Amino acid sequence: MADGSPPPGADPVGPAPAVRPFLVTAGRVADTASGRTMPVETQVVATAAGLGALAGLSFEQHDIVAACRRPQSLAELAARLRLHLNVVRVLAEDLRAAGQLTVHVPDVAATHDASVLRRVIDGLRSIPDSRGVLRDTD
Amino acid sequence: MTPTEPLVHGAAAAQTAERPPLPVKMVIAGGFGVGKTTSVGSISEIEPLTTEASITEVAAGVDDLTHTPRKTTTTVAMDFGCLTIDPTLKLYLFGTPGQERFGFMWDDIVEGAVGGLVIVDTRRLDDCYAAVDYFEHKGIPFAVAINAFDGKVEHTLDEVRWALDVSEGVPLVVFDARERGSVRDALLVVLELALARTEG
Ligand SMILES: Nc1nc2c(ncn2[C@@H]2O[C@H](COP(=O)(O)OP(=O)(O)O)[C@@H](O)[C@H]2O)c(=O)[nH]1
Ligand SMILES: [Mg+2]
Repeated sequence: MADGSPPPGADPVGPAPAVRPFLVTAGRVADTASGRTMPVETQVVATAAGLGALAGLSFEQHDIVAACRRPQSLAELAARLRLHLNVVRVLAEDLRAAGQLTVHVPDVAATHDASVLRRVIDGLRSIPDSRGVLRDTD
Repeated sequence: MTPTEPLVHGAAAAQTAERPPLPVKMVIAGGFGVGKTTSVGSISEIEPLTTEASITEVAAGVDDLTHTPRKTTTTVAMDFGCLTIDPTLKLYLFGTPGQERFGFMWDDIVEGAVGGLVIVDTRRLDDCYAAVDYFEHKGIPFAVAINAFDGKVEHTLDEVRWALDVSEGVPLVVFDARERGSVRDALLVVLELALARTEG
């Protein structure tokens, strides 16, 4: 910035994540079976077995499975549980291996498919200019 | 029977049968304070959330002892919002901070994105070079969105295009990050570009 002042609304970095999750994950990096890092939008859902085992799970694992009663993205989980994204990646992979979560890594071909893009375009077009006001269509 | 006996099974099984939607990802990039969080918040159906993610910075020069490029992992705040298109399809928006020396280490966040929007404040154009270069290098469809702070744009579109050195194929739009319709239309420009590529 020309005047050297801090930029407005500089991205806040929230409170430093607790050290504990890093101990929990022992510094591991989670990859999918194919060796690809799970994308941030990867969907995670609790299994019946996972919900059944809730009482026996440790803090972070418990919170993740509990939050995944409905499908969540990894990013959503990290934000809601205040965990570093990589911690959530590792824990989600562990929980998947234990049969407590299903992890749905998006298929790039599917998300880039023309018919999918058209549906996103149509869906986005139909949202109003401002909340609660319908947009004039042409 | 133990007091911790879980009360699950039938109901839980039904609950968890829910199929997750297909997540379509777009990335909103740009320097600090250009309006990324504001844009995500204008269009997202949830309050924008912030997640900490890691980026790897490759430092200029090499390590004195090992002669290998120095890599450092930095934690950055990543904004995040979403929009349900229908029960099977959900648009995810990620706002990534775009600092100078990122190199090509945004992959962890951007991989698989259908498109990008680079937000520019015309008073400090150079803040967005890294993002422009990144999307160009990766071949990710993107548009440049000029955030007209207080309705003012300091340069003409041609001047901005010249200064950023973006090709003719990259759309330039003027928008207001606070206006939902304006953010929607900017995202639509990117999606149309992505669609045209699949058909090209
Ligand atoms: N006047 C005006 N202010 C804006 C606009 N967009 C963002 N802002 C403000 O600029 C500041 C930085 O925006 P923010 O979205 O946090 O930027 P980020 O760092 O890119 O996420 C905030 O105080 C916003 O309210 C705009 O179009 N016009
Ligand atoms: Mg921000």
